[in-house]
Amino acid sequence: MRLKHVLRPAVIISNLVAWLVALLWLLPFVGLFMTSTRPFEEVVLQGWWSLAGNYTLANYVEVLTDPQYDLATGFKNSFIVALPSTLAPLLIAALAAYAFSRFSFTMRNLLFVTILVIMAIPQQTMVIPLFFLLKSMGLLDQLLGVILIHSSWGIAWITFFMRNYFSMLPRDVEEAARVDGASYATIFFRIILPLSLPALAAAAAIQFTWVWADFFFALIFLYSPENMVITQKVVTIKGQYQIDWGLLSAGSILAMIPPVLVYAALQKYYLRGMAGWVTGKG
Amino acid sequence: MASVRLESVVKRFGRTIAVDRVSLEIGDGEFFVLLGPSGCGKTTTLRLIAGLEYPDEGRVYIGGEDVTYREPGERNVAMVFQNYALYPNMNVYDNIAFPLKVRRRKLGLSNSDIRERVLEVARMLRIEELLDRKPGQLSGGQQQRVALARALVRRPSVWLMDEPLSNLDALLRIAMRAELKRLQKELGITTIYVTHDQAEALSMADRIAVMDRGRVMQVGSPQEVFLEPRHVFVATFLGSPPMNIVRCRISYSQETAQISCPGFTRIVPQTVGEGEVYLGIRPEFIKIAPHSGEGALRAEVLVVEPLGVEKIITASLDGETQIKIKTALDVEVKPGDTIYLELDWSRVSVFDAESGRILETLTKELREP
Amino acid sequence: MSRVGDSPLSLKIKEHVRAYLFLLPALALLSVFVIYPIAGTISISLRSEEGFTLGNYIAVVTERSPTKALIISENLGGAPPWGALLHNAVWILVHVPATTALGLVLAYMLTHVYGRSVVKSLIFVSMVIPMVVGGLIIRFIFDGQVGVIPRLMGGLGLEDLARTWTAYPETSLASLIIGSIWLWLGFSLTIHSAAVDNIPRSYIEAARIDGASELQIFRYIVVPAVWPATLTVAVMTLLWDLKIFDIVYAATQGGPGGSSTVLAYVMWLYFARALDYGKAAATAVILTILTLVAAAYLVRRSLGVEKR
Repeated sequence: MRLKHVLRPAVIISNLVAWLVALLWLLPFVGLFMTSTRPFEEVVLQGWWSLAGNYTLANYVEVLTDPQYDLATGFKNSFIVALPSTLAPLLIAALAAYAFSRFSFTMRNLLFVTILVIMAIPQQTMVIPLFFLLKSMGLLDQLLGVILIHSSWGIAWITFFMRNYFSMLPRDVEEAARVDGASYATIFFRIILPLSLPALAAAAAIQFTWVWADFFFALIFLYSPENMVITQKVVTIKGQYQIDWGLLSAGSILAMIPPVLVYAALQKYYLRGMAGWVTGKG
Repeated sequence: MASVRLESVVKRFGRTIAVDRVSLEIGDGEFFVLLGPSGCGKTTTLRLIAGLEYPDEGRVYIGGEDVTYREPGERNVAMVFQNYALYPNMNVYDNIAFPLKVRRRKLGLSNSDIRERVLEVARMLRIEELLDRKPGQLSGGQQQRVALARALVRRPSVWLMDEPLSNLDALLRIAMRAELKRLQKELGITTIYVTHDQAEALSMADRIAVMDRGRVMQVGSPQEVFLEPRHVFVATFLGSPPMNIVRCRISYSQETAQISCPGFTRIVPQTVGEGEVYLGIRPEFIKIAPHSGEGALRAEVLVVEPLGVEKIITASLDGETQIKIKTALDVEVKPGDTIYLELDWSRVSVFDAESGRILETLTKELREP
Repeated sequence: MSRVGDSPLSLKIKEHVRAYLFLLPALALLSVFVIYPIAGTISISLRSEEGFTLGNYIAVVTERSPTKALIISENLGGAPPWGALLHNAVWILVHVPATTALGLVLAYMLTHVYGRSVVKSLIFVSMVIPMVVGGLIIRFIFDGQVGVIPRLMGGLGLEDLARTWTAYPETSLASLIIGSIWLWLGFSLTIHSAAVDNIPRSYIEAARIDGASELQIFRYIVVPAVWPATLTVAVMTLLWDLKIFDIVYAATQGGPGGSSTVLAYVMWLYFARALDYGKAAATAVILTILTLVAAAYLVRRSLGVEKR
């Protein structure tokens, strides 16, 4: 019976196609990795798919330490930007989301629609006035300036996301706390936030990935080499006339390690969060 | 301890009226039950007393103080929820201690005071060994006890309970009824208890308010609401099976009035008005007579349901009107039998067919021997 | 014994104070760093030497130089005379149906697949990496020296395609679009897969007992059931295609000869290269209007969920 199920044509075709697509989708990463671990001349001559050759970490060492590429600084800057830009909007948006899900106030719908609209607006629409604003605040080409912008930008979608989650939490626990005499601040910090850890983890994972991946804001607001984040550093590697794919692939792999690790560690939350964020139910 | 008073309280949700001019007076230390079908407004009434909702009209007093628009935390009431509403992220100790911790400064409590009081209620409810567990690791009955402990620990002046036993299995529910009642009497806390389960209400309450569609239909002791219903709704909501309601007519012939029901008529000596009425008699107050006799009603047995110690017989009076009779198990009848019924006229009630309200004079007349 | 302030009005005021205290940090940051800049961009876009005009918009739309043209471009051949806006349009026309359909079909196929969560995770990885890296990878797989695709084409005897795709106007846009399917499929698959998992098993089993083929089950049960998710995926993909920037910057810089420019890239050129803020702002506003039209569907749906 079971064997018969396995041998149904639909099952066979589905397995073949799905695994073929999966491997095909993995292929560029494999190529990138193979290229990064060998001298570029060898890759050009033999192709990265040949397994024979000299494996080396020289490309990694060079992109990290050579002052011309200096990915180490980019790495550090990306962390300095991404960590606060994940935690700050998480807290601020959770507070706002709680207000949207529990309190009634005038302008509630207007403000909520505003947040939905902001979620759709492209980054390009904000950067020109922000450029001059940061300049006047002395925050241009400063990591703090980019942190402020990422944090504000993240508030909109996290508010929407957390509000959906809060709306699904049972109310009676909060009502019990109110009757027990707890203030709303106590309820929020002692009951709602601990209950929302899965959603907070999902939002944190997604926001971290997005901030880490950001290129456009960094490109506009950070320009000295010592302040650039990793995405900027990686694209400068290809600045030579002749592209050295060994260095470029090593840089690319370094740049994607942190988000891929976050994704691997929080995959369950990440995927559920992605689905919840889109479908409006956490 | 405190009394609770509601003064023509109205609560609307959009266009529907959830609570419609409800006035109640609940005495100090009383066990008061709000009883009614789902959607009758009993839970909303409870939430208005708790402060989880605010009324659109009317006032709420606790201990003589107007608390209509006061925050729930400022009313010194404690509430037990249907799903217990324990804080899932805290262990049992912290759950019980929570109401004290958030009021620590106001009450001037030290950590050891809190500990002492938590242990005291934990002992009282026999949950000392559970203090380190999380709510998710407890059985329904244990969660129930934790919820009660949390509601007791701050020595509230009023205890509010929203169907607290409805999630327990049948046996445990009956055991908890007795225990709750004992606890309440021991501590003398004014208790307002919401339920849709009449057995719970009748067995626990000092007084019951029966509600329907946002209104209080009757307030009285369990015996009063059971034996002296003021409204057809109360008569048919209480009792299992509920009171038999038979549509009758009052008509005049010369000086006397007469009530004619399907299968029987009876003279009413005085003028009582004319028209349709409902005659109500509980199945417990109908006897099966051995043979036809004066005043006995002829009926045909339709269904016999043996229920352990008693039997419920459904019979037809005139081929159409059905009536239920509760008898002892040893009464031998079977469907198709013709039987003769004797009503205990001292227990009948007559209701106006239009308003459903009790017709006091007529009821009194009929009950006179 | 009523205390001062115990009234319906004071309750309402209290609730407002409470709500706005919770909202305050969010509103403060959003107004300064999001709402004010949006308003600023609109105002800059309408400003020119003659005061408030639509001059910037007209100039931007009628621009014909290859790197900045939005509609018709005077490029030197090799690629069709399309500007950035048309590139976005072509991108959407190919990418949205391809990704959406592929994700939908694959999501249903996955119900039969052993190790489906592994397959899903592998395909999703390309969603997690920074998009500039995605752009570099596109360049890598289409590279004439080391890339797989040119080698494959060479092996098939297609000499025109056996070279670096991103370096030729005929193929640059195509390489980006194909690459974006690789990058974005994980999203479509994840959302569709969640929707497919939500279909009650009994529906599909009942259909199978009734003798429906897999194709019929897919067509008459799966597709209608996941349709709302499909629409959402399509709109989100469309929004992403409109805003696309990073992979263009990393893979082709809009070139060669403006053959792969997009709206966001042109906006950046005006801003960072030409230092023409008025035209940059006008381009940004055009981009915004297009995204808002597409997003209106999502906003309406979110508010619809609200009402239920």
